[in-house]
Amino acid sequence: MEKQGVLNNNNIVGSTLVHKLAMFVVLFGFWMVLSGRTETKFVVYGLITAIVTTWVTYPLLLVPNKDGSKRYFVFGVSIPKFIMYFFWLMWQLVLANIDVLLATTAQELDIDPKVVRFYFRADNPMASVVLANSITLTPGTVTINVTDDGLYEIHALTKGAAAGVLDGSMQKKVADLYGEKFDFAVAEGEE
Amino acid sequence: MIEAFGLNSLRELIAAIFMLGGLVFFVGSAIGMLRLPDFYSRIHASGNSETLGCTLSFIGLMIYEGPTLTAVKMAFAFLIVFMANPIGSHILGKAAYKSGHPVWTLETKGAKKLVGLEKQDHSADEPVGHIRQKEDK
Repeated sequence: MEKQGVLNNNNIVGSTLVHKLAMFVVLFGFWMVLSGRTETKFVVYGLITAIVTTWVTYPLLLVPNKDGSKRYFVFGVSIPKFIMYFFWLMWQLVLANIDVLLATTAQELDIDPKVVRFYFRADNPMASVVLANSITLTPGTVTINVTDDGLYEIHALTKGAAAGVLDGSMQKKVADLYGEKFDFAVAEGEE
Repeated sequence: MIEAFGLNSLRELIAAIFMLGGLVFFVGSAIGMLRLPDFYSRIHASGNSETLGCTLSFIGLMIYEGPTLTAVKMAFAFLIVFMANPIGSHILGKAAYKSGHPVWTLETKGAKKLVGLEKQDHSADEPVGHIRQKEDK
């Protein structure tokens, strides 16, 4: 049953060939950078390794959505958009880092730790992964739980960090990145 | 002027500035680890070093190394740290949360208060470390 699901690619979002080609190019580039040798022998080894790795791991990198009607390729995201998101995230990290550094080294600890909750629903499971990872990566906020129905429970260290999570800007960016509709709500009255 | 600090070129000076910037965040991370009150807050302190401290140090090392293959390999190492570290932080936080570790807030000051699980009945006969699912109530 599971095997049939892998072979039947009707429900895969995007083109299988494009996914495999992109994965092959990335893996081969990685090989070339790590080996750093351009003799024919090593390039051919690299080509064979990249092809076999792509062939073996591609079915494992398809994640189903919640009701199992579609399957998404894990790296099936627009590269320019992702790079834009990465730099936006880096800038947020700089701001949050300075915020946490000042809060923890102030003479009186300037902290207000609490758990904040919000709902963010996305069909693509990778959107949840990227959002939860981005929140954890930002100092001052750690994702401590994500439930199946899209409830995120975040431990926030400072007032600014809690407000930053609940204003929905990062959720908007992630929804745009994965082409999802923006489904975000702050969960009230659960603390 | 630069030679007085044992540096040979402007590139080394820029690299040193980046690495010192990273060091500031590593030290801030260590201070936070010692000063913050509870487990959850201390995860945040470690986040300081794993993001900006690591980023600045790696940029400094890459500038020191110059445009070689080794610098690209350093960039890969940095990206792996960047992707893998938040997963570690999240798993630690989730484990504490699922086992009902109390959260320190300004109101409770560390009194026994369970995050999110306080509505559920945590009777004393519950074995330690048992994970309660939402459906259990």
